Amino acid sequence: MRRTSTGVKATKAVLVVLLLAFTLFPTYWMLVSAFDDRAGQGGATLVPREFTFHNFSYVLTDGGFGTFLRNSVVVALATVVISGVVALLASVAVARFRFRFRTQMLMLILVVQMVPLEALVIPLFVQIRDLQLLGTLTGLVIVYVSLALPFGIWMLRGFVAAVPVELEEAAYLDGASWTRMFRSVLLPLVAPGLVATSIFSFITAWNEFIFAMTLLGGEADKYTVAIGLKSFFQQNSNDWGAIMAGSTIITVPVMVFFILVQKRLSAGLVAGAVKG
Amino acid sequence: MRRTKFYPIAAAATVLTLTLAACSGSGDDDSGKGKTLDVWIMKGTNPDSEPFFADVAKAFKEETGATLKVEYVEWADAHDRFVTAIAGGTTPDVAETGTTWTPEFADAGALAPIDDYVKKDNLGDDLVKGLVEAGTYDDKLYGMPWYAGVRSLVYRSDLFDKLGLKAPTTWAELQADAQAIKKADPKMLGVAVPGDAEFTVYPWVWGAGGQVATQSGGQWTSGLDSAEARKGISFWTGLATQDKLSSAGATTWKETDVLDAFANGDVGMAVMGSWTPAAITEKNPEMKGKFAAVPIPGETGGIAPSVLGGSHLSMFNTAKDKDLAWDFIKLMTTGKFAQEWADDSGYFPGQTSLLDKAVKSTDSLVAPFAKQFVDGGASVPVSPNFGAVQAKKTTSVMMQSILSGKSSVDDATTAAAQEMTSLLNGK
Amino acid sequence: MAVTYPTPGGGAARGPSRRGIARIRPWLLLAPALIILGVLLLWPLVRMAMFSLQDYGLREIVSGSTNWIGFANFTEILTSRDLWAVVLPNTVGFAVLSVTGTVVFGTLVALLLQSLGPRTRGFVTGAIMAAWAMPAVTGTYVWVWIFDADHGVFNQVLTSLGIIDQPVNWFTDRWSFYAIVLLNVIHHGFPFVAVTVLAGLLGVPREIHEAAEVDGAGAFRRFFQITFPQLRQVFAVVIILSTIWDFKVFAQVYLMPGGAGSNRDVLNLGVWSYVESFGQNRYGFGSAIAVLLTLLLLVITAVYVRTILREEKNL
Repeated sequence: MRRTSTGVKATKAVLVVLLLAFTLFPTYWMLVSAFDDRAGQGGATLVPREFTFHNFSYVLTDGGFGTFLRNSVVVALATVVISGVVALLASVAVARFRFRFRTQMLMLILVVQMVPLEALVIPLFVQIRDLQLLGTLTGLVIVYVSLALPFGIWMLRGFVAAVPVELEEAAYLDGASWTRMFRSVLLPLVAPGLVATSIFSFITAWNEFIFAMTLLGGEADKYTVAIGLKSFFQQNSNDWGAIMAGSTIITVPVMVFFILVQKRLSAGLVAGAVKG
Repeated sequence: MRRTKFYPIAAAATVLTLTLAACSGSGDDDSGKGKTLDVWIMKGTNPDSEPFFADVAKAFKEETGATLKVEYVEWADAHDRFVTAIAGGTTPDVAETGTTWTPEFADAGALAPIDDYVKKDNLGDDLVKGLVEAGTYDDKLYGMPWYAGVRSLVYRSDLFDKLGLKAPTTWAELQADAQAIKKADPKMLGVAVPGDAEFTVYPWVWGAGGQVATQSGGQWTSGLDSAEARKGISFWTGLATQDKLSSAGATTWKETDVLDAFANGDVGMAVMGSWTPAAITEKNPEMKGKFAAVPIPGETGGIAPSVLGGSHLSMFNTAKDKDLAWDFIKLMTTGKFAQEWADDSGYFPGQTSLLDKAVKSTDSLVAPFAKQFVDGGASVPVSPNFGAVQAKKTTSVMMQSILSGKSSVDDATTAAAQEMTSLLNGK
Repeated sequence: MAVTYPTPGGGAARGPSRRGIARIRPWLLLAPALIILGVLLLWPLVRMAMFSLQDYGLREIVSGSTNWIGFANFTEILTSRDLWAVVLPNTVGFAVLSVTGTVVFGTLVALLLQSLGPRTRGFVTGAIMAAWAMPAVTGTYVWVWIFDADHGVFNQVLTSLGIIDQPVNWFTDRWSFYAIVLLNVIHHGFPFVAVTVLAGLLGVPREIHEAAEVDGAGAFRRFFQITFPQLRQVFAVVIILSTIWDFKVFAQVYLMPGGAGSNRDVLNLGVWSYVESFGQNRYGFGSAIAVLLTLLLLVITAVYVRTILREEKNL
């Protein structure tokens, strides 16, 4: 790097620009169309021809995106909290204790992650039906927790394992109980890992499509953002300005969130993935 | 188990109503006092449905004492919603069901037959036959005809006037008209040939003397691969593939896309429903007065039959009080409210006595559809399995493979006919 | 609770009662997770296998009755022309292409990022995070809009450049359809690879690289001889996860024009299973397809897991 010539620098600059163009173009195009009053007729242009907020106000009121957003937030938060707690407990068990069937448990968690979601749609549909939870947000949360769990356990396990055992022992020597130690030693130290898993479960819940489609089955006032957008698209299939406005509303919160925590996230991923 | 439990109560209630009806000569009673009737209605059929149902609820309360609770369901979500509700046992008491769904839901054991009620109230003779057929499964009536619409050929009358064209009455005229429009404005679609809209295909099959499917001896046979059907399909798809009068995008269009494009002024002619004119002017007020309709022409004249699409009101087995449910169905499908609904929504009522009025109309956006409805109305194969044909998108697959140039008409129709035959026969 | 040493080495705790608590504690901690996974993942898997041997429709769901038909569903699938000519190639071929594409492209981006100054790197990383954050559903609609036949920008550009004179419907042809899906999936998937590999790269001590550079090793050789072996585990994880994700591509196909069943040429296992079960109420047949998809993934996973186990004995 010290010997970079201008040629290399220029190549790199070009590559970076190309990369940014590829990466950001869809987002850019989405925004441009969302703010263009005439996107539905004759397509969008690089800059909106008639700048407007009308598309946004339309989808938020008539399009029902207000409801969809609320449902998604509820579902995602519930999923984050429940799966975070359950995954943390389980990860402590597999990272800190040696017990019979431990390896089998780990294998189970790993294998369960590999099961294709689409394969589970039918039996879960019947399962949630048996629990009388079809068409409810609760049913959806339960499913999302189970989807987010394996990855959460897997990732948190790395963080828990990385906490030096000596710290725990010091706590015991001070007379702390296990629960106390858990709260005041382990929990703060694995917090970054919890943030990473939370983001993962949040995104799972926010973006998930196929279960929301089958389990909510047409109950429009329970729709989450993903199927809310699909349903909106079906009714307004050529109103691209409004469709892109809806897409923007769904995407922007996740994007901001993502960029804010990106450092933590990548650290968490690597820790979980590699130290695992 | 549930049925046995409720049966005596329901029977007792029937006796009661019959007695009361005999005394007062009408369904006027207070047996529904304190009860609530849950109803699902499709959204968007009638732009003014909320004030309409407010009136209905008032009348219903006066007549039966029961409260009406209406929930609006989007057409796009409705089938999923019904399936989920049937699976979960959370169906409403009464719901509007699309005519092609009624046999399917009846087959799943979700609907209650209504023959006895219809007989009791002497309504049988006045119902539109196509809708009765569509609502009958296993010789029992499961769907009460409510309203129906029909597809005809909608065209841009302003362009036709400007170019000196006449509304087509034969296929050759249709082709020539489309060519003239395309020539005058190459950016326009002379005629839209959508790939994902099965109901726009069948008129050409029937118009050429073919059949979609016929039943004999309990065995269904699709006629899509007959010489007549192929002639019709060749003509219709040829407008796109050979004459280039449609567009590449239209290969994946649904009927809603056709509507959007037409409202946007991109289309010269299209097969569209009797309920669409209002939607077109709502989407684009500038289109007002610029289009008209004509029955779909047969090959050398006459009217090519077109599917009667519409809705039943169906009673679900989960209905707590079936007599109350019937009171509502009767209120909606006969007399004042049936007429008002038809007037508001641009559909035709499900009773022949009410239909006559529409036929006599002189409106250029009502009369041609009414003519098509009466003289050229047809039904898709009445089988609980036709829902499976629709879900499998047999006809759309055929159309898309022809329109995209992937298969010839002969190959595509052979494959489609095979699939339709086997699906209709339940395997 | 008294002092208990959760001895990591697996040694015995002191005293009988403590030992009891210590022994059940891991199970107490695991219990919620196991119950959830059991009720919502394992038991459904078993049920899926059971449905796949039945003619299971809406009627059966409503009544709760069974309707065993043996292996008829599987016979129908395995003898279906659709499976061998369309569905399986679409599923497997697409997964291979997209995993390769995602991993290669992601790694290249990681290498580029590594060579940048910290500030630019931070900025570019932020930008690619944006691509990752875009939900699959919205991402798909944006691509559909870009490639829309009538008003999409792609056709407009091609037309104005004179490459095509009529708008082309890119969604009807199997190859162009999947090219768009591929673009969508790579665009959405590469950031994860790039970020993860980058973190690994930054962990490789610079001295090793510099030493090799002094030895005159080219960039290509340096990558394969030094970087790659160092990051073996990172790549293993990245490849496994990408494979799992890409095999299960559903929304990206289902939401495209024709993707929900009206264009048979573009069906993959996931969409096929879905349209057969929820579209046609043939839940048994759909389950049988799902069983096949699961088996396929399990085989692939098993191979991976064995590789990882071999490398990481202390799992």
